[in-house]
Amino acid sequence: MKLVHALRRVQVSISSQDILDAQICLDRYPDLSQKQIFKSLFIHQPKDLTLFEMIWRILFENPKSGVKDYSEESINNAVLEEKQDSSGIGGQGVGRGSGGVSLTAKGNIVDSSHISNLIPFTRLEELITRELDFEEMVQTVLAEMDFYTWINAYDLAYQRSELSENNWYTHLDCRAAIIQEVRQQVMTAQVRHENSWEPLARQHWLVKPLSNLTEEEKELVKTSIRKWARKLALRPGSLWKTGHRGTIDISRIIQKSVQGDGLLFHLSYCQRVPRAPEMVVLCDVSNSMASFVEFLIYMVTCLRARFRKIRVFFFIDGVWDVSNFIWDDDLEGVKQEIKSWGHKASSGFSDYGAVFRELAEKWLREVSARATLVILGDGKNNYRSSQTEYLAQISNKVRNIFWLNPLDLQDWNQPDNSMKDYQTYCSKVYRCRSASDLQRVVKDVF
Amino acid sequence: MQASPFDLAQALKDEGYLIDEESATTLFLSLALEKPCLIEGPAGVGKTQLALALARTQNRKLIRLQCYEGLDLNKSLYDWNYAKQLLRLQLAKTEAWDEIKVDLFSEEFLLTRPLLESILSPVPVLLLIDELDKSDEEFESFLLELLAEQQVTIPELGTIVAKTSPIVILTSNNTRDFSDALRRRCIHIYLTYPTLEREILILSSQAPELSDRLTRDVCEFVARVRKLPLQKSPSVSETIDFARALKSLRKETLNYGELMGTLSVLLKYPKDIAKLEERLKKWETETARRLE
Repeated sequence: MKLVHALRRVQVSISSQDILDAQICLDRYPDLSQKQIFKSLFIHQPKDLTLFEMIWRILFENPKSGVKDYSEESINNAVLEEKQDSSGIGGQGVGRGSGGVSLTAKGNIVDSSHISNLIPFTRLEELITRELDFEEMVQTVLAEMDFYTWINAYDLAYQRSELSENNWYTHLDCRAAIIQEVRQQVMTAQVRHENSWEPLARQHWLVKPLSNLTEEEKELVKTSIRKWARKLALRPGSLWKTGHRGTIDISRIIQKSVQGDGLLFHLSYCQRVPRAPEMVVLCDVSNSMASFVEFLIYMVTCLRARFRKIRVFFFIDGVWDVSNFIWDDDLEGVKQEIKSWGHKASSGFSDYGAVFRELAEKWLREVSARATLVILGDGKNNYRSSQTEYLAQISNKVRNIFWLNPLDLQDWNQPDNSMKDYQTYCSKVYRCRSASDLQRVVKDVF
Repeated sequence: MQASPFDLAQALKDEGYLIDEESATTLFLSLALEKPCLIEGPAGVGKTQLALALARTQNRKLIRLQCYEGLDLNKSLYDWNYAKQLLRLQLAKTEAWDEIKVDLFSEEFLLTRPLLESILSPVPVLLLIDELDKSDEEFESFLLELLAEQQVTIPELGTIVAKTSPIVILTSNNTRDFSDALRRRCIHIYLTYPTLEREILILSSQAPELSDRLTRDVCEFVARVRKLPLQKSPSVSETIDFARALKSLRKETLNYGELMGTLSVLLKYPKDIAKLEERLKKWETETARRLE
């Protein structure tokens, strides 16, 4: 029940039936691993596996037990030869690290069971009392292990072709394993310190700020955005309605004929519901939006795939029509394009007033009155004139304006932010900085 | 049903499917609890093959429903035979209307589709609902009754309960996420690309004509290719095709310099092939340097 409680606390849904099933399996198959039974019956989505492993380790495996001293003398599992002199791989000097164990002297650690021995537990206990947040603590521990010097040395060696590709991949695996282990240990320490699952719940990918997500979590958000985007647009084809023309609807003809004593009086027709909503997306790609822009562009990508009538504009201090620009899901092409366009045609600082003016004067006549305008931006106007009359003009023309802002509400009142001026002309304005915000917006708006 | 996950894995092996211990345990538990099993993973890791092999090990008739966008109840569950109903109406002009009315919506005029077929089947079946992620969300919601209660409801006929409890396997390539309601009703397996050792075993069993050296070379090469950032990584079936292609070119070992022209068997996107060709040159230089 402790496990169930912890999993439920981090939003893994476990029904009473799941618990009953687990009980049946534990009784019927006592030889099977309990962990495997719980994992099979409680975890319904791949993304919850990491949480399960983390909680299992916190509850049932004590990382401190069985720890062997990972001293310099006992290292014999390095893939690359250890340097006897003071220079490490990549030509960088080897440090000791202030955590007592330095990674720079170790090469690639291939045996993952040794990784947990690298973490300085006493140091973790010290850090926990400083009340740093999770990411800060992870970074501090990694820095004290000389992690960043260590990875830089390998990066350098790989760039200089001193490291074969195989060894490079081994190193990347090792790097990921170390980060994972540090995260696990820091989380364990925080959970024990607070004596609650709250620290783990705070790390759920749905509530974390989009700018702090790991690569894996980014993928989760992207998958979810794809799912939500499906709901945004009514695709022609899934819905049919009866009409005076279209395809002959045989089942309806039979139903009608049954009412008329089996005689055919009328032919019925049906046709697909034809129209998808019209949408105009205005996305801020300036420097201040850099950490959020990836998800916003991804959202735009998903919207574009689903809406037939969609116009997409990027802007900084000028508007740039990208409706016909094609980009892949990996967004590399579009990021590059934004970079080069940003250098060529913009100062890099957003000017919402100028943007709304350009949109009103140049593009508005091409937008229909049925369209919905979605603005993705932080409202930072860099002390320029807000020129609200242009947004008012746009607001009169289109059906709705929805504004999604990644900043917290209190930041909307900063002196360089014009959100308060623009807010009145929008149908709705949302704070949208995490995946759960995105989810809420999608449910609410569309 | 087998007595343990190990026995199940062994039975699947006899049918030519190698499964890892963890997946075998999960699959075993889904059979033991008579719950549907949702198998997810990238394309080509053997999801459908697992269902096919399972049907053989359990001696069950396989009924397969291939999902696609726009799949509806008329194509998946049942449809009325309208032409036959019209004929019946024409022939029955003299009969009393009440009799015909009941008659028209009887099983006589019912066309069974895969889902209903699996429910009505007198012999045990394995129902494979393949690539469920391609179907619409409405269809996914409709499946809930079948998955949880092993029954379906036809408005004109009422509820039909399964005669023999079917094993239900659902597969998905993760092109979209499923609702919590569907996931809750299933036991979940996530299949990924096999490890090097497992892939060598798979290749040896699927293509025994290959030499041990070529088998290992190909598997090591494919494992390396999968680490590249490609649009689509090579699947297990593509590894087998690639190895057979090399064999038909009378190669006994894999040399990076001699692969041009064969890569399209392994990769399906020109962008990926170009990326790999570029990387091959680097690998070739690396190998040459090592040999020196």
